[in-house]
Amino acid sequence: MAGLQERLDEFKKAFESGAPPYNAPHEAIERMHRATAELKASGLEDGALKVGDRAPSFTLFNQDHVPVASTDLLREGPLVVGFFRGHW
Amino acid sequence: MMELEALQEIHSQVSGLGAQIVVLTPELERYTRALHNKLNLTYEILTDLHLKTAEQFRLVFVLPDYLRDLYKSFGKTLDRFHDEREYRLPMPARYVIDKEGIIRAADVNADYTIRPEPSEIVRQLRALTIRLGRTGDSIRGGKQGGECHANTSR
Repeated sequence: MAGLQERLDEFKKAFESGAPPYNAPHEAIERMHRATAELKASGLEDGALKVGDRAPSFTLFNQDHVPVASTDLLREGPLVVGFFRGHW
Repeated sequence: MMELEALQEIHSQVSGLGAQIVVLTPELERYTRALHNKLNLTYEILTDLHLKTAEQFRLVFVLPDYLRDLYKSFGKTLDRFHDEREYRLPMPARYVIDKEGIIRAADVNADYTIRPEPSEIVRQLRALTIRLGRTGDSIRGGKQGGECHANTSR
Protein backbone atom coordinates (compact mmCIF):
# COMPACT_ATOMS: atom_id res chain seq x y z
CA MET A 1 0.00 0.00 0.00
CA ALA A 2 1.13 3.54 -0.72
CA GLY A 3 2.80 5.42 2.11
CA LEU A 4 0.96 8.15 4.01
CA GLN A 5 2.83 11.02 2.37
CA GLU A 6 2.19 9.56 -1.05
CA ARG A 7 -1.52 9.38 -0.29
CA LEU A 8 -1.51 12.95 1.02
CA ASP A 9 0.31 14.16 -2.07
CA GLU A 10 -2.19 12.48 -4.36
CA PHE A 11 -5.07 14.10 -2.52
CA LYS A 12 -3.39 17.51 -2.60
CA LYS A 13 -2.77 17.22 -6.32
CA ALA A 14 -6.40 16.29 -7.01
CA PHE A 15 -7.70 19.04 -4.72
CA GLU A 16 -5.47 21.77 -6.10
CA SER A 17 -6.26 20.87 -9.71
CA GLY A 18 -9.59 22.62 -9.21
CA ALA A 19 -11.31 19.73 -10.95
CA PRO A 20 -14.19 17.59 -9.64
CA PRO A 21 -14.99 16.17 -7.17
CA TYR A 22 -13.49 18.99 -5.08
CA ASN A 23 -13.90 21.90 -7.51
CA ALA A 24 -11.66 24.02 -5.30
CA PRO A 25 -11.52 27.61 -6.54
CA HIS A 26 -8.06 28.97 -7.26
CA GLU A 27 -8.61 31.78 -4.78
CA ALA A 28 -9.39 29.30 -1.98
CA ILE A 29 -6.19 27.37 -2.64
CA GLU A 30 -4.24 30.65 -2.54
CA ARG A 31 -5.68 31.45 0.89
CA MET A 32 -4.72 28.01 2.21
CA HIS A 33 -1.17 28.39 0.94
CA ARG A 34 -0.91 31.85 2.45
CA ALA A 35 -2.09 30.64 5.85
CA THR A 36 0.36 27.73 5.88
CA ALA A 37 3.24 29.99 4.84
CA GLU A 38 2.37 32.50 7.55
CA LEU A 39 2.16 29.83 10.22
CA LYS A 40 5.47 28.40 9.06
CA ALA A 41 7.05 31.86 9.19
CA SER A 42 5.63 32.56 12.66
CA GLY A 43 8.11 30.09 14.16
CA LEU A 44 5.38 28.50 16.28
CA GLU A 45 6.81 25.06 15.48
CA ASP A 46 10.01 25.96 17.31
CA GLY A 47 8.11 26.62 20.52
CA ALA A 48 6.35 23.24 20.66
CA LEU A 49 7.48 20.66 23.19
CA LYS A 50 10.53 18.73 22.09
CA VAL A 51 12.54 15.58 22.70
CA GLY A 52 13.73 15.52 26.28
CA ASP A 53 10.83 17.61 27.62
CA ARG A 54 8.45 16.16 30.13
CA ALA A 55 5.08 15.48 28.51
CA PRO A 56 2.12 17.14 30.24
CA SER A 57 -0.25 14.60 31.75
CA PHE A 58 -3.90 14.65 30.71
CA THR A 59 -7.23 13.05 31.49
CA LEU A 60 -9.69 13.35 28.62
CA PHE A 61 -12.89 11.67 27.50
CA ASN A 62 -12.66 9.08 24.74
CA GLN A 63 -15.23 8.54 21.99
CA ASP A 64 -17.43 6.56 24.40
CA HIS A 65 -17.33 9.21 27.13
CA VAL A 66 -14.93 7.18 29.26
CA PRO A 67 -12.19 9.26 30.93
CA VAL A 68 -8.68 8.20 29.89
CA ALA A 69 -5.66 9.28 31.96
CA SER A 70 -2.22 9.44 30.38
CA THR A 71 -0.64 8.40 33.68
CA ASP A 72 -2.63 5.14 33.59
CA LEU A 73 -1.56 4.47 29.99
CA LEU A 74 2.11 5.20 30.77
CA ARG A 75 2.09 2.68 33.60
CA GLU A 76 1.70 0.01 30.92
CA GLY A 77 4.35 1.23 28.51
CA PRO A 78 5.35 3.97 26.07
CA LEU A 79 2.64 6.15 24.60
CA VAL A 80 2.21 7.53 21.10
CA VAL A 81 0.23 10.78 21.14
CA GLY A 82 -1.10 12.23 17.90
CA PHE A 83 -2.76 15.62 17.51
CA PHE A 84 -5.51 15.76 14.90
CA ARG A 85 -7.37 18.86 13.78
CA GLY A 86 -10.64 17.17 12.96
CA HIS A 87 -12.85 15.11 10.72
CA TRP A 88 -13.71 17.97 8.31
CA MET B 1 -8.34 11.32 8.19
CA MET B 2 -5.61 9.66 6.14
CA GLU B 3 -3.33 10.05 9.11
CA LEU B 4 -5.80 8.26 11.39
CA GLU B 5 -6.05 5.39 8.91
CA ALA B 6 -2.28 5.20 8.63
CA LEU B 7 -1.99 5.02 12.44
CA GLN B 8 -4.57 2.25 12.42
CA GLU B 9 -2.39 0.28 10.03
CA ILE B 10 0.48 0.20 12.54
CA HIS B 11 -1.61 -0.24 15.67
CA SER B 12 -1.03 -3.98 16.05
CA GLN B 13 2.73 -3.49 15.63
CA VAL B 14 2.67 -0.74 18.25
CA SER B 15 0.71 -2.98 20.64
CA GLY B 16 3.20 -5.75 19.99
CA LEU B 17 5.93 -3.44 21.27
CA GLY B 18 3.98 -2.86 24.48
CA ALA B 19 2.98 0.68 23.56
CA GLN B 20 -0.35 2.42 23.04
CA ILE B 21 -1.67 5.07 20.68
CA VAL B 22 -4.08 7.88 21.49
CA VAL B 23 -5.14 10.69 19.19
CA LEU B 24 -6.21 14.04 20.64
CA THR B 25 -8.56 16.37 18.80
CA PRO B 26 -10.50 19.48 19.85
CA GLU B 27 -13.66 17.95 18.38
CA LEU B 28 -16.59 17.11 20.62
CA GLU B 29 -17.42 13.50 21.43
CA ARG B 30 -20.32 13.23 19.01
CA TYR B 31 -17.82 13.75 16.18
CA THR B 32 -15.08 11.53 17.59
CA ARG B 33 -17.62 8.75 18.10
CA ALA B 34 -18.80 8.97 14.49
CA LEU B 35 -15.25 9.05 13.18
CA HIS B 36 -14.14 6.16 15.40
CA ASN B 37 -16.99 4.02 14.05
CA LYS B 38 -16.53 5.08 10.46
CA LEU B 39 -12.83 4.24 10.37
CA ASN B 40 -13.13 1.14 12.60
CA LEU B 41 -10.34 2.36 14.82
CA THR B 42 -8.95 0.13 17.56
CA TYR B 43 -7.14 2.95 19.37
CA GLU B 44 -8.92 5.75 21.17
CA ILE B 45 -9.68 9.28 20.07
CA LEU B 46 -9.76 11.69 22.99
CA THR B 47 -11.57 15.01 23.03
CA ASP B 48 -9.10 17.69 24.01
CA LEU B 49 -11.86 20.09 24.96
CA HIS B 50 -10.94 23.71 24.26
CA LEU B 51 -7.43 22.56 23.33
CA LYS B 52 -6.26 22.51 26.94
CA THR B 53 -3.71 19.75 26.37
CA ALA B 54 -2.61 20.98 22.93
CA GLU B 55 -1.89 24.32 24.62
CA GLN B 56 0.38 22.59 27.13
CA PHE B 57 2.27 20.98 24.24
CA ARG B 58 2.36 24.52 22.74
CA LEU B 59 0.76 23.51 19.47
CA VAL B 60 -2.19 25.89 19.27
CA PHE B 61 -2.68 28.58 16.65
CA VAL B 62 -5.62 30.73 15.58
CA LEU B 63 -6.89 30.32 12.06
CA PRO B 64 -6.55 33.66 10.23
CA ASP B 65 -9.78 35.52 9.38
CA TYR B 66 -9.45 34.98 5.65
CA LEU B 67 -9.27 31.22 6.13
CA ARG B 68 -11.98 31.16 8.76
CA ASP B 69 -14.36 32.82 6.29
CA LEU B 70 -13.41 30.35 3.61
CA TYR B 71 -13.97 27.33 5.86
CA LYS B 72 -17.31 28.73 7.00
CA SER B 73 -18.38 29.08 3.37
CA PHE B 74 -17.54 25.37 2.93
CA GLY B 75 -19.68 24.49 5.95
CA LYS B 76 -16.61 23.72 8.07
CA THR B 77 -17.99 25.28 11.19
CA LEU B 78 -15.26 24.73 13.71
CA ASP B 79 -17.16 26.68 16.36
CA ARG B 80 -19.77 23.95 16.29
CA PHE B 81 -17.30 21.07 16.09
CA HIS B 82 -15.21 22.42 18.98
CA ASP B 83 -17.70 24.34 21.08
CA GLU B 84 -15.77 27.57 20.77
CA ARG B 85 -15.79 30.59 18.50
CA GLU B 86 -12.11 31.27 18.23
CA TYR B 87 -11.23 28.89 15.42
CA ARG B 88 -8.10 27.64 17.11
CA LEU B 89 -6.44 24.44 15.95
CA PRO B 90 -3.50 22.26 16.98
CA MET B 91 -0.56 22.00 14.61
CA PRO B 92 -0.35 18.41 13.41
CA ALA B 93 2.03 16.62 15.76
CA ARG B 94 3.12 13.20 16.89
CA TYR B 95 4.96 12.37 20.07
CA VAL B 96 6.46 9.21 21.49
CA ILE B 97 6.53 9.38 25.27
CA ASP B 98 8.44 6.89 27.42
CA LYS B 99 7.15 5.29 30.61
CA GLU B 100 8.77 8.02 32.68
CA GLY B 101 6.73 10.64 30.84
CA ILE B 102 9.66 12.03 28.85
CA ILE B 103 9.24 12.85 25.15
CA ARG B 104 11.53 10.58 23.12
CA ALA B 105 10.42 11.49 19.61
CA ALA B 106 8.62 14.56 18.32
CA ASP B 107 7.33 15.60 14.96
CA VAL B 108 5.56 18.93 14.56
CA ASN B 109 4.86 20.59 11.24
CA ALA B 110 2.98 23.82 10.57
CA ASP B 111 2.27 22.48 7.09
CA TYR B 112 -0.52 19.96 7.60
CA THR B 113 0.05 18.45 4.16
CA ILE B 114 3.41 17.02 5.22
CA ARG B 115 3.34 14.10 7.62
CA PRO B 116 5.96 11.53 8.59
CA GLU B 117 5.28 7.89 7.80
CA PRO B 118 3.77 5.99 10.73
CA SER B 119 6.45 3.33 10.23
CA GLU B 120 8.77 5.93 11.83
CA ILE B 121 6.85 5.44 15.07
CA VAL B 122 7.47 1.71 15.00
CA ARG B 123 11.17 2.36 14.44
CA GLN B 124 11.28 4.88 17.28
CA LEU B 125 9.47 2.52 19.66
CA ARG B 126 11.85 -0.31 18.77
CA ALA B 127 14.80 1.95 19.52
CA LEU B 128 13.21 2.85 22.83
CA THR B 129 12.59 -0.79 23.74
CA ILE B 130 16.18 -1.73 22.90
CA ARG B 131 17.52 1.12 25.02
CA LEU B 132 15.25 0.07 27.86
CA GLY B 133 16.55 -3.46 27.62
CA ARG B 134 20.13 -2.24 27.72
CA THR B 135 19.87 0.25 30.55
CA GLY B 136 17.37 -1.35 32.89
CA ASP B 137 13.92 -0.13 33.68
CA SER B 138 14.57 3.57 33.66
CA ILE B 139 16.13 5.81 31.07
CA ARG B 140 15.14 9.06 32.66
CA GLY B 141 17.74 11.75 32.19
CA GLY B 142 19.59 9.82 29.48
CA LYS B 143 20.96 12.30 26.99
CA GLN B 144 21.82 9.69 24.43
CA GLY B 145 18.15 8.98 23.75
CA GLY B 146 15.74 10.73 21.50
CA GLU B 147 14.83 11.05 17.93
CA CYS B 148 13.93 14.49 16.76
CA HIS B 149 12.13 14.90 13.50
CA ALA B 150 10.59 18.29 14.11
CA ASN B 151 10.64 20.07 10.81
CA THR B 152 11.61 23.33 12.35
CA SER B 153 14.19 24.44 9.87
CA ARG B 154 12.19 24.29 6.66
